[in-house]
Amino acid sequence: MRQLSRRDALVLGASGAALTVTGWSARASAAAKEAAEQIDKFTGGKTAEKGKVSIELPEIAENGNTVPLSVTVDAPMTADNYVSEILVVADGNPNPGVATFHLSPLAGKAEASTRIRLATTQNIIAVAKTSKGEFFTNQKLVKVTIGGCGG
Amino acid sequence: MTRGGILTGTAAIALLVGVVVLAGGPIASAQSKKEVPLDTKGEASERPWKRYAGWPTRDESKYNTLGNLATPPAPKQPRKITGPITGDAKKGAELAADRNRGGSCLACHVMGPAGGANLPGNVAPDLSEIGNAGREDEWLFNYIYDARVYNPDTVMPPWGSHGFFNDQDINDMVAFLKTLKSPAAFKTTLDDPTKRPPPVEKRDNLDPIENPGMWAVDKAQELWKQKSSIGFSCNTCHSDPQTTFKTWAASMPKWEPRLNKVLGVEEFVTRHAKATTGANWLMETDDNLAMSVYLRFLANGTPIQVDTSSAEAKAAIERGKELSHRKVGQLNMACTDCHGIVANHWIRGQWLGEPKGQYDHFPTWRTSLLKVWDIRQRFQWCQVNIRADELPPDAKEYGDLELYLASQNEGLKLSVPGIRH
Amino acid sequence: MAEKPRLKIPKEAKKGEVIEIKTLLPHVMESGQRKDKDGKPIARKIINKFACEFNGKPVFTANMEPAIAANPYIQFHAKVEESGTFKFTWTDDDGTVTTAEEKITVS
Repeated sequence: MRQLSRRDALVLGASGAALTVTGWSARASAAAKEAAEQIDKFTGGKTAEKGKVSIELPEIAENGNTVPLSVTVDAPMTADNYVSEILVVADGNPNPGVATFHLSPLAGKAEASTRIRLATTQNIIAVAKTSKGEFFTNQKLVKVTIGGCGG
Repeated sequence: MTRGGILTGTAAIALLVGVVVLAGGPIASAQSKKEVPLDTKGEASERPWKRYAGWPTRDESKYNTLGNLATPPAPKQPRKITGPITGDAKKGAELAADRNRGGSCLACHVMGPAGGANLPGNVAPDLSEIGNAGREDEWLFNYIYDARVYNPDTVMPPWGSHGFFNDQDINDMVAFLKTLKSPAAFKTTLDDPTKRPPPVEKRDNLDPIENPGMWAVDKAQELWKQKSSIGFSCNTCHSDPQTTFKTWAASMPKWEPRLNKVLGVEEFVTRHAKATTGANWLMETDDNLAMSVYLRFLANGTPIQVDTSSAEAKAAIERGKELSHRKVGQLNMACTDCHGIVANHWIRGQWLGEPKGQYDHFPTWRTSLLKVWDIRQRFQWCQVNIRADELPPDAKEYGDLELYLASQNEGLKLSVPGIRH
Repeated sequence: MAEKPRLKIPKEAKKGEVIEIKTLLPHVMESGQRKDKDGKPIARKIINKFACEFNGKPVFTANMEPAIAANPYIQFHAKVEESGTFKFTWTDDDGTVTTAEEKITVS
């Protein structure tokens, strides 16, 4: 049973501010559970269809402090059929919520990019909602490295 | 004439005139023997030097630093181990993965299932099948205790003789090593350091939207015009920095005879500002970092070309080279261990680079810390990481080391601010 | 000497073109997870909302959580049919709103 190491604390807190040590797998499953709950709330209980959503993330993040993320939805952006919202959650973060993007047809393209913080290796899950009430989803695994040598 | 290093009244005006003439072109070169004003009395960084808050607070004065020799000599003989070693292999596996005990074995070695085979390094041999390699217990024990008895030039830290692990810990690890008889089972190809592609820096470090470090350039442009308490700014004498400093930073660092040391850009800024405008820009403060970024930014694209031919420069480079070979700290490592002998390998999930390419992008924005770091802070952090006491940023040893590093980066074009982990 | 928001947006575009917009705001995005050296939690303080409007109409909004990295970077697109002004707003947890504007000529 791996404990939350000082390395993980460093990623979450930068500059050496420490987190309390707790059982690792308990935290991991709590985060995944909350991520699922947030997705459920977003879809109103509906199951999102896998597809149309592509997530761009590095396979190995050099650190968890700033990880570039891009979400694109292969769907039209016309006045009567457009991607209206994109939810992004991180299933291994203490607070899984990352962002909710709201788009109007004026956005022209269903894409959003940002930089995110990741506490540890985990999945990023994106769920897209269309104006017609459809839901699409995808996810990607990111390995987060925390330092190389002793420090 | 001077009061605490700050010029007053007529002295300031006389200096002003002199410096303006100096900066002025053909006339200036005829008069170029006039020295650039530098404060030579004070220190260029905080005294007493205090380690950064948030950095490990270990006292490593028992071991070498770049400024002091203290490390006890290596043992001459391996320790005699009578009888087979018994230990707790499960505990040994945990110790092998425990990063709080000096970095852990997995930083350098693949070791079968230890640490879940999660992004181990390949600085050193894969030990996943060492249980089949026919090694004696005594050999295994001593290699961990102090590998120098078998290989005087080893990069392996002296885990036993430098107090990281006691005999029982090492027995447990030996017991674990004896169980390793099959290749590591990696969960993904990325975990396998032999298959992991070396990182390529693709970001445009000079794009202000990509690199928050570019805000330092904005800040420096404001500082440039900011009038000090005696009414001067950089702009008073240097009204056209884009022209005046188009290549200057690429010639630094440089030997300064008045201080009997090599001066880098950051220390130059501290001492020159103090002696002219009176601004107090100590090394590693935000203002100093901004100015250091800016002075190099103005020279971006210029190939690094430092003096390597004068007698003083040659001597400094020789000292810097020796310092880069010195084993320091509790982990007993030299710059040339990671950035020479085992360069181009993975230490856990980080790639160890060669000295060439390690200087042209400093100061750099660090994404993991949300801060600009200059090369001196980079030196300090490396030392603290290998459990050696760092020196103050303006230590003469760092100057020698920086000149040596710059000489290894000759011809590379400045591209500052950098952006890195 | 506050750092300014950075915006990357074309000055001109053709009617109907979908342009890319990049934004960067200096902000610590204090997550609320960190503790100071005495072990006391450092209070959360983030930009929780970014909004972009064009000629008064909403184009793109981001509701952000502490998992957005410091110096929030947001990139998105906009389809321009007419000349006008983009207005960007960033809202801090404490209510402070930072704004920026950029004009574009569409022909």
